[in-house]
Amino acid sequence: MGSTKKYWKGIEELKETPAFLEQRDQEFPAQSAIESFLLDEKLAEASTGRRDFLKFLGFSVAAATLASCEAPVTKAVPYVNKPENVTPGVATWYASTYYDGLSYASILVKTREGRPIFIKGNKDFGFTKGVTNPQIISSVLGLYDSERLNGARKKGSKANVAVNTADQAIIQGLKNAKSIAILSPSIISPSLLKGIQLFTETYTKEGNRSVELVQYDAISYEAIRKAHLQNFGEARIPSYDFSKARTIVSVAADFCSTWLLSNEYAQQYGATRNPDGEFMSTHFQFESNLSITGSNADYRGQIKPSETTLVLLYLLNNLKGTGGTGLKGDLLKIANAAVKSLRKSGKNSLVVCGTNRLEDQLLVNAINHQLSAYGTTIDLSNDVRLFGAENSKAEVLFSNILKGKGPDVLIDLGTNPVYTHSQGKELKAALGKLPLFVSTARYSDETSSLASYIVPDHHPLESWMDFQPKSGEYSVAQPTIRPLGDTCSVLESFYVWAGLTKRTGKDSTFAYDTIRGAYTGNFDLLVHNSCVGTTIPAFTNTFTPVNIPSSNKNPGDWEVNFYQKTAIRDGAMASNPWLQELPDPISKVTWDNYITMNPYQMEELGYATTYDQEHGLNLAKITVNGVSVTLPVYPQPGQALNTVGVALGYGRGAGGEAIGKGAYQTKEYGGYDLADDGTKKTIGANVYPMLRSSAGMLQYSGAAKVEKQEGTYLIAATQIHHTVMGRESIVKETSLNTYKTKAKEAYNPPHMLERLNEHGHHEKAPVSEFDLWNAHPVEKIGHRWGMTIDLSSCIGCGSCLVACQVENNVPVVGKDEVRRGREMHWIRLDRYYVSNAEEAIGKKKEEDFSYSEAEKATVNPTVVHMPLMCHHCNHAPCETVCPVLATTHSNEGLNQMTYNRCIGTRYCANNCPYKVRRFNWFNYPSYKKFTEVNPAQDDLGRMVLNPDVTVRTRGVMEKCSFCVQRIQSVKLDAKKEARVIEDGELQTACSEACPTQAITVGDWNDYNSSVYKSTQSKRAYQALEEVGVKPNIWYKVKVRNEA
Amino acid sequence: MKIAHSEGFRKGKLFASILVFISIILAPNGLWSQGENLYKAKCSSCHQIEKNGTGPMLKGARQRWADAGEGDLIYEWVKNNAALRGSGKSKRANQVYNEYGGSQMQLFADLSNDQIDQILNYADSSSSKAAAPGAAGAADGKAKEDAAKEEGKGGVSKTWWIMGVIFLVIIFSVSGVRRQLKNASSESEPDTNATYWQEFKLWLWKYRAATGVTVLVLTISVLVLGLQSLGSINVMEGYQPSQPISFPHSVHAGQNGIDCKYCHNSVEKSKSAGLPTVNVCMNCHKQINGKTPEQQAQISKIYAAAGWDPNIKPAGGYTGKTSPIVWNKVHVLPDHVYFNHSQHVVAGKIDCIQCHGDMKTMKETAKVQKVEDLSKIEGNIKLTKPTLTMGWCIECHGKKEVVIDDKSNAYYDELHKRLKRDMKHYKHLKEDEKITVSELGGWECSKCHY
Repeated sequence: MGSTKKYWKGIEELKETPAFLEQRDQEFPAQSAIESFLLDEKLAEASTGRRDFLKFLGFSVAAATLASCEAPVTKAVPYVNKPENVTPGVATWYASTYYDGLSYASILVKTREGRPIFIKGNKDFGFTKGVTNPQIISSVLGLYDSERLNGARKKGSKANVAVNTADQAIIQGLKNAKSIAILSPSIISPSLLKGIQLFTETYTKEGNRSVELVQYDAISYEAIRKAHLQNFGEARIPSYDFSKARTIVSVAADFCSTWLLSNEYAQQYGATRNPDGEFMSTHFQFESNLSITGSNADYRGQIKPSETTLVLLYLLNNLKGTGGTGLKGDLLKIANAAVKSLRKSGKNSLVVCGTNRLEDQLLVNAINHQLSAYGTTIDLSNDVRLFGAENSKAEVLFSNILKGKGPDVLIDLGTNPVYTHSQGKELKAALGKLPLFVSTARYSDETSSLASYIVPDHHPLESWMDFQPKSGEYSVAQPTIRPLGDTCSVLESFYVWAGLTKRTGKDSTFAYDTIRGAYTGNFDLLVHNSCVGTTIPAFTNTFTPVNIPSSNKNPGDWEVNFYQKTAIRDGAMASNPWLQELPDPISKVTWDNYITMNPYQMEELGYATTYDQEHGLNLAKITVNGVSVTLPVYPQPGQALNTVGVALGYGRGAGGEAIGKGAYQTKEYGGYDLADDGTKKTIGANVYPMLRSSAGMLQYSGAAKVEKQEGTYLIAATQIHHTVMGRESIVKETSLNTYKTKAKEAYNPPHMLERLNEHGHHEKAPVSEFDLWNAHPVEKIGHRWGMTIDLSSCIGCGSCLVACQVENNVPVVGKDEVRRGREMHWIRLDRYYVSNAEEAIGKKKEEDFSYSEAEKATVNPTVVHMPLMCHHCNHAPCETVCPVLATTHSNEGLNQMTYNRCIGTRYCANNCPYKVRRFNWFNYPSYKKFTEVNPAQDDLGRMVLNPDVTVRTRGVMEKCSFCVQRIQSVKLDAKKEARVIEDGELQTACSEACPTQAITVGDWNDYNSSVYKSTQSKRAYQALEEVGVKPNIWYKVKVRNEA
Repeated sequence: MKIAHSEGFRKGKLFASILVFISIILAPNGLWSQGENLYKAKCSSCHQIEKNGTGPMLKGARQRWADAGEGDLIYEWVKNNAALRGSGKSKRANQVYNEYGGSQMQLFADLSNDQIDQILNYADSSSSKAAAPGAAGAADGKAKEDAAKEEGKGGVSKTWWIMGVIFLVIIFSVSGVRRQLKNASSESEPDTNATYWQEFKLWLWKYRAATGVTVLVLTISVLVLGLQSLGSINVMEGYQPSQPISFPHSVHAGQNGIDCKYCHNSVEKSKSAGLPTVNVCMNCHKQINGKTPEQQAQISKIYAAAGWDPNIKPAGGYTGKTSPIVWNKVHVLPDHVYFNHSQHVVAGKIDCIQCHGDMKTMKETAKVQKVEDLSKIEGNIKLTKPTLTMGWCIECHGKKEVVIDDKSNAYYDELHKRLKRDMKHYKHLKEDEKITVSELGGWECSKCHY
């Protein structure tokens, strides 16, 4: 298929701009960086001459020699009383549960010498089946955030106050109050709800007080609950099972990445994307932004955000056989294909919709009912308890506060409405005027900094908590470390404020006692597994059709779609540098939000569609519902025409609040970039104020006005970094039909070379039969560590990249360095746009509203995600050029990188055909430029480093090591226990984090191993096979289920 | 024809200069005092020259015995002090014994009276410089002999200085005579004003081929020797930091026979062997609080760390105030080295003694043993590179055999099976009858660096 398709990573590559060509030909785009360095006036003033330099050189050599003659005295401090389950040097794992209001997962927490350093999914227990997401993996860094509150605060004071003092004042305030409101995100903890109930009872018993619990979610799924209330008589979010769905239709739902329990769905979805499995699902996506889910769809229709109802109505009417209207061109073709496929799959279908509009969700229910999907792919009995918030109640509370009729006491459990609410600015003024405003937020953030008292909750890794994520599952979170600060369990706080218990400090066992006391089963077993299935009360209500209200969506010429990025999502973790630096899986932009627009239209409107490290993108002012922000306009192929997209969750800390070091823009040589008024510049802009409710439900789209502004803005995107030049065999894809009916040569032909046979005739032979060198003795004997990556299953979520960063102490380099192409990630998640034509952009044919093949290149390309890391070539080109043997081959097939030997010639990186080597340009753990962004520079932040992996210093190369520390540990365990290594025992950080199990690792020389079997598949191929480097990583051809 | 101009002489000189050079490099260890050698081998661990230590100072020892009227008995005392004390014929013997806390001196029946005299002569003549190294006061003298050799090298260099000066004097006097002769014989050539230096330069120029070769050989030799000696540079060998508690391994592991793993109890589980936590110390020291005041002082430090108050009635109790003991780490590896104790002890079946020496005889807490000392231990693989250097590690990895075909470990069994898939390679590995750690990849960078 490769011969007729063109794969490109960005508009620059598609158009082959001169800047792109120049960058493509250089491994290190260093030139302009040096220029700016030399142009720095401060440096020009420096008076170090050549002679001084030589003196310094001589002195430092002498000093280094002297210094190395004496070993520094190192201390060794054993425990006084060794905890029973801690052995220094050995990791202890705890089963726990992650819930932050948006994501939920059963997790395992790795601790070393008492420090939690790694989070992975629990594959043995829990409905999430070991699947996490980038936010969950990164959340461990939040524990070591030095700006997290370490004690109670009184308003206006930068110092902590005693918790008891705060408690007394709060209790006094509560006693004096007439009305008390508790504002919280959706609560799924039975114990916390019980605590709040007891608190309520205490304060309503006497004094004619009112106590109200108001749950408020900035990311709301209320429409799904309301639709089920109308159709089934009870407000519910059902459990979806994508793994049973042969046809999946998603209308604007990014269910692989951000929608509802996306980690659960990603795993289920991945299971249906295996062309060798029982069936392969057909996936239709209708959306305006190119989402991660949409990038994996077999058919992707582009719609404006206001057209979701139109599409759903068309589907429903056609399924009912009454015929639908309103769709044209490509969209019509795709919708008809979807109807056909849905009919065929019948009850094994699933239709979901990502909007928060009641009519859309009612239509979805009607379609799913029409398909009889309830009972197969949709389970109403085991309903999802997350996102139970009722924002309409919150709106009443907020309007009361704004009118000055607010409650006498407001207790906020960290909802941060000043940031997320459309009237945040007004709320900021009003909240400060409340008689008593108490917050349990972990940071002094936009909202809690206004509170009379903050009694901060523990970090989730420090505290006991219980959860009921679905009616069929009960789970607990257990602490993995003693609280670092004098923080208080929010559960205990309610009991204390109700006068039902006394504070006993940070070692309080109150939360544990309460949760344990309430549980009737075997608590030790519960803690061991972290969760337990519970009896699901049967839900027997049947579908009742209702009249679907007509839409009132105020469509505009231009519409905006507000979406969540997989890394930043709602913005609660915006200060996490790992997440800020995770390139967005689609746009590949780091450290920013922006307006996405189709490059086809950008050209028409005069926006720049290409950029590089010195040339930015045009700015534009976007106005939605009377609120404007100015953001750069980013060319996003696949964006529906006349729509733009802007990510939520940026622009945190507009008031300079202490929400974490990584939350603000930094300057080129370190330090925060300050605005003219002296405040720290936020990263991106906050677009929550643009959101409006319709029929009581928050809407994440609307009519927009986009006006081009003067000036450009530099973007740090990785998409065209490390481009593999002029080689087409890196990605292979085919259709399910071809795969099932044709021979391997049709979709996965081996690369053939010509040679002379013994008779002197030319013959063709596969490249694997040619050898320039003697092979390393890695085949057959010993271990040979190998990996296969199934491009059909890979959804491009970014979990592998973050997990690798956490496991291998990969430094964060900040926006400025990413812009220069110096990101350090060991895994590069390549996202290729695929188009059929060679060259790009033609003109839209007005009459039938469909695009020519040439136009589709940028208007609606298909996408391939391809994780790329060191291929551990058995004929590694990097090894032969290293002058100091710092990179060598092991007899287990690993390409070893020895940092202490490396002198930084960078020959290896220049010689790597996959461009996966990264150079340490700076001393990231100490250079001032990275103080704000690199956690290793923070006394607390560096606690997260993995002690089994060296922290690399300036001037050395680094790259994927195949998690050699894990390989060594697995081998050692086997040797010590006198047994063979079991298949699946070795999991690299990336393979472990992959939600769809696209990555298989193991011992290739074990012929029963899954990795060996996987490489024998007809779909297995090696990227850039023609180069003949014999890598130990195989890919599997991407198969699309399309006609 | 002048002799100096003859071909034979020139060649001879060149040969001689190379020979001299080689002899400089390869010269055997030179002369040293027999007494000093014996002192360092036999006595220095307990006796210092000018200061009382574990035993009395040796300087003036003969005089002190003579003053006590027992000058002849000193030989018997040295050879078998217990017998002398038992015999009752010496008052001084029991006096010295009691003075030093009843600690018995080792027996040296192998020393002759002459040798004892040599030692005492050395002690009486020696200055304070020759302090005793803190080597183990061991029963076997092997370690000490070694120390003596080490010290001997210092002696060599002194000898060489003297020889070098003599050599120079000879050169100058010979060349002076030659100059005189030359001046006398060649009156027609009035170049007498030339200084030695100018003449020397001329001479060098005249024999530039020989000079060139000599300089080349010298340079290369210095470079080779320099590089070789770089390999033996070490900062760790003999490293023995002071410790907060003077913990005698000889008492715990030696006298009391406590297994290493009782205290270093993660050695089979973890990459670090683990320092004993204070609760482990308290398992025994709750009861054992020391006989001598010194011992009591040391053990009270454990009590302070554990928060144990022996005065709490009736049998002592914990106060709850604990403070960890801050030890100084002895075996320190750089951060970029991954070393795993359990790998070596469990999978590699290496005994602690292989790398740490015989702790049963170590009176002090711990030190990094010299590789020579380790090599002397029975059953140890003989190594040459300094302890805790990378050379030391890979030398052992190159020599240590991994038994992979005795069916005792399923992991190695499987590895063995796979090796046999390629018989050519297998035979190549088995050429020397054994498969070493390095042949299984133990010399590969990523085994220890990642």
